[in-house]
Amino acid sequence: MTAKVGYDGVNVGDEVFSVPKVVKREDVKAYADASGDQNPLHQDDAYARSVGFPGIIAHGMFSMAHLTKAVTDWAGDPAALKDIRVQFRAVVFMDETLVAKGVVAAKDESTKTVTLEVSAELERDGKTERAIKNSTAVVQLA
Amino acid sequence: MPLNQSLKGKEYDEVEFTVERDLVSQFARAIGEDNPIFLDPEAAKTAGFPEQVAPPTFPTTMQIRTSGAAVVDPDLGLDYTRVVHGEQQFEIHRPLVVGDVLKAIPRIADIYARGPNEFLVIEAEIRDAKGEVVCVSRSTLLSRGTAEM
Repeated sequence: MTAKVGYDGVNVGDEVFSVPKVVKREDVKAYADASGDQNPLHQDDAYARSVGFPGIIAHGMFSMAHLTKAVTDWAGDPAALKDIRVQFRAVVFMDETLVAKGVVAAKDESTKTVTLEVSAELERDGKTERAIKNSTAVVQLA
Repeated sequence: MPLNQSLKGKEYDEVEFTVERDLVSQFARAIGEDNPIFLDPEAAKTAGFPEQVAPPTFPTTMQIRTSGAAVVDPDLGLDYTRVVHGEQQFEIHRPLVVGDVLKAIPRIADIYARGPNEFLVIEAEIRDAKGEVVCVSRSTLLSRGTAEM
């Protein structure tokens, strides 16, 4: 399997995907069960309030999984993803809409790879919060 | 109380982990995967993979045990109620597939302070049955407010 996206067809500065996902409580619960991360901060509102949040928050890895899926869906081949590194910079509450974005930051002709600047954003109280920022994904293109 | 800096470089017991079909399917559904190579072994084989493929962030299911070893180490002095996940990296050498038998030795790669917070970097080089590195996971946990000011 090789990537659907050709190296020559993308340019530095291109926004190559912007994929929204509404964060639902049942999906966060399913993620807790599948990943094994049963921290009550992601399941128990009373606990979340006791540590200063208005309610439960999604796992950082939940946001990373959505972002990673956006990268591999774009590339058309899950094996095309060579490296992904993210910083979790804002919490995500239930029913917020997380938008995974990727912009071409650099191209490497010798390996036909591109480095994407990736992020996961949401709108809260009229402001853009970046749940994931200062983050990159390296993708092997065709 | 600050983390114990002298544990930088400490290695923990090797963790062994088999990539099980049920967990791969459960994980793929939980993250909303609809690509059949993550859900159906036949679709994966048609696409050229030896077996049903695990999503790229699947190694997180190992992390509860790899990072877990350091997190509960009484010598480290980490208060888990102060911890948030700060950063995560997966350096992917090949996709994981169902049936892979993996081993990793978790290691504290770094401990450092920035402002009031401390950062604990736990690295796990994940190898397959042939001993080849399939993925390197680096997880940075942020310990809120524990740095010596």
